Formats: sequence, structure tokens, C-alpha cells
Amino acid sequence: MENYARKLAMKVEKSALTQGLIRCHDCGRLAKQTSHTNHCPLCDSRLHARTSNSFQRTAALLLSGVSLYIPANIFPIMTVSQFGVGEPHTIVGGIIALIHSDMIPIAMLVLIASILVPLLKLLGLGLLLLCVYYRWQVNARLWTNMYRIIAFVGRWSMLDIFMISILVSLVDLGGVAQIIAGPAATAFAAVVVLTMFAAKSFDPRLIWDSQQ
Amino acid sequence: MSKTDLEACAECDLLLNPARPALGEKARCPRCGYLLQRPRKQSIERTLALSIAGLILIFPANLLPLVGIKILGNTRDGNIWSGVAALFGENMWGVAVLVFLASILFPLLNIILSLLISGHLYFKKPNPHLARWMRWLQHLDEWAMLEVYTLGIIVACVKLASIAELKFDFGLYAFIALLIITGMLSSSLDEYLFWRHIGELRQKVGHES
Repeated sequence: MENYARKLAMKVEKSALTQGLIRCHDCGRLAKQTSHTNHCPLCDSRLHARTSNSFQRTAALLLSGVSLYIPANIFPIMTVSQFGVGEPHTIVGGIIALIHSDMIPIAMLVLIASILVPLLKLLGLGLLLLCVYYRWQVNARLWTNMYRIIAFVGRWSMLDIFMISILVSLVDLGGVAQIIAGPAATAFAAVVVLTMFAAKSFDPRLIWDSQQ
Repeated sequence: MSKTDLEACAECDLLLNPARPALGEKARCPRCGYLLQRPRKQSIERTLALSIAGLILIFPANLLPLVGIKILGNTRDGNIWSGVAALFGENMWGVAVLVFLASILFPLLNIILSLLISGHLYFKKPNPHLARWMRWLQHLDEWAMLEVYTLGIIVACVKLASIAELKFDFGLYAFIALLIITGMLSSSLDEYLFWRHIGELRQKVGHES
């Protein structure tokens, strides 16, 4: 048995599933795939060889994210009013305002966090889904790394939302100066949350499964 | 050696012999590069100590004002709660709930769960809920966003610097200390080791009964 195990790990690259084993997605313990045991013996969580309905769930979440990305960029994310004169800002408008006031590094930061990251995330997840659906033969390690980057950067898009919550509470001086959050804030927050869930429900093992 | 003593990579499902990396080493999946194990020095002790420190710091970081501004003689200061309250006041309850969860509730739960788990493991006290807490902690981790919130504070301050006079309050120092503590907390927690200990504790209870 010892020899068998070593051989498995050394040259014959085999996935646990082809050996009738399921890895618990919470605690990492391997369990034999049988018809009746469907809970992990160590942590009691339900066993799934692959995230259940990974493709469908990711696709649904991604499509919702894409459709909300449009209102998130069209509508104003906040309105800055000084002495009663209101000026609505979209996400892009806010970045342009930062550039105009010569705050280039911060403008770059907001550009990355609230435009580039969500956009690349939507595109990247779409590509990953296509790759799995059409069983593209790709460099699976590279694509897994792409998945990891997408899963890692998602939360940083919340930057804009947190910034608005701080601005809204601080700049509330009635007629003198006031900042009010706009409808795009809700849409944008929803995009961030939906794409985070989409990344979580995508199972990178599917990329490896479709390689021959 | 039974088949279930083997391991599988979480991200490519490659069947592997269990690695035994030494302190300071990393075990990666040879096929996809996934970080399998990263043993930490005194993981349980440090997690316990850091989660106690975090639990103390979370109160000043949440309750004291973080930043104050002064525009034309009007002063205002705000903390995380006032940001949530202001969004609620504008009927942006969806965003308000999200900010509340990501910057107040989940960091707090993260610290409490780390404290509970590492406390039980440190004193070797079995608890039927340990595995459940550990699962919750793993799922919560991604949604506690103190570091992103910090970046939000920085950007907000830069935006305000041109129109208002800024004042940094004591709450901000507590908040930054909390940020450092939670960062150290998540890097000190060795999930592989924790699960192994949870499994051992559970087996001990099984033998006694």
C-alpha cells in the first residue's frame, strides 16, 4: 500500500476523484466516495467531489454582475453639494476630478480598484467559464493562477464603497457642504458582492478535469 | 497506509502523499502550485494571544472617532458606525448593511471565532462545535475587509484635504493597531495544524465515551 501511494504521487498524476476519493472542501480530509456517506467524518460538512453546479452558479452570478455593472457606471455614485449647488459624480467622473486636482496616485488607485479590477474580473471569469465549457486544452497551471488572482483581488473593489461611507458621514454640514451617496453605489456594491460569490463558486479543478 | 491518509490538492485535485514541511518552509502542490501547508511557529499560542489583543482593540477602533474635519468653522468627526448610520439615513440600506458586515460584524466574528478555537485547542478542551466554528472562520475570512476599509479612509482623506482641515483622532490609531493585529492573526493561524488538532480532540472524546 505504501508503495502504491508513493507511486501515485510521484509519476502517475491522478486526481483524487478518479481514485474514488473526495476531498472535504472545508477541512481537506479525504473520504472514500460511497453511495451513502455524504458527510465528512472529521468536520461534518457535506462532501462534494466538485463544487455543486459550479458552472451554472458561476455563470448566473457573473451575468447578474455584468448587468449591474452598467447602472453602476451610468448613474452617479455620489453627489457633492457646496452651498446648495449639487454636482453628481459617476465613478469615472470621480477619477477625472481627482486627476484635475493633481492627485494622480490616488486617481490611479481608484481607477484600479473600481474600474480595472471589476472589469478584468468579469472578463476573466467569463474566459474561465468558456474554457471549462468548451474543454479548451490550455496551460492549466497558468489558468489556475489567473483564477487565484481573480479570487484575491475582488474584495479590493470595496474601496470605493468604504470611501463613500466615510465621506457621507463626515461631509454632512447642511447647506455649506454635503455629500450624498447615489444609486450607482448600490449597483456597484452588488457587482462586487456578486463577483466575489461567482469567484467562490467557480471550481478550478474543472480546468484540470478537462485536460487530457 | 489507507487511501484516506493521502491528501488531495484543493485546486487541482492531484492525489499526493502528505507533505511534512519544517517551520518556515512551504509545501506547494507540484502540479498547480497551490499552497498546501505553511507551518507557523507556535501557531495556537500566537493565535490565542493575538485574538485577545484584537478583542480589546476592536472596542476603541469601533467606538472612538477616527477622523475629524473642519470646514468653515463647522467641525464633524466620524467612525465606522457613523458611516453606516449615514448610509442608512439616506435609505441606502443595502450598502449600509454591506459596510456594517464587512467592516464591523465580520472582523468581530473573525476575532471571536479565532479566540474560541485557539482557546479550546490551547487548553485541549474538546467541544462538539469546534469543527463548525473552524468552517465558519474559513468562510468569513474573505469578507472581513479592514485593510480595504483603511485604504478607503486614506482615499477619503486625500479627497477632503483640499476642502477641509483634517484631524486624526485616537480611534484611528486603535484602528490601525487592530488592522496590524488582524493581519498577524490570519497569518499565524495554520489551518492544516488546526484541523489536525480538532481531529485529534474529536478522536479523544470518541475513545473516552
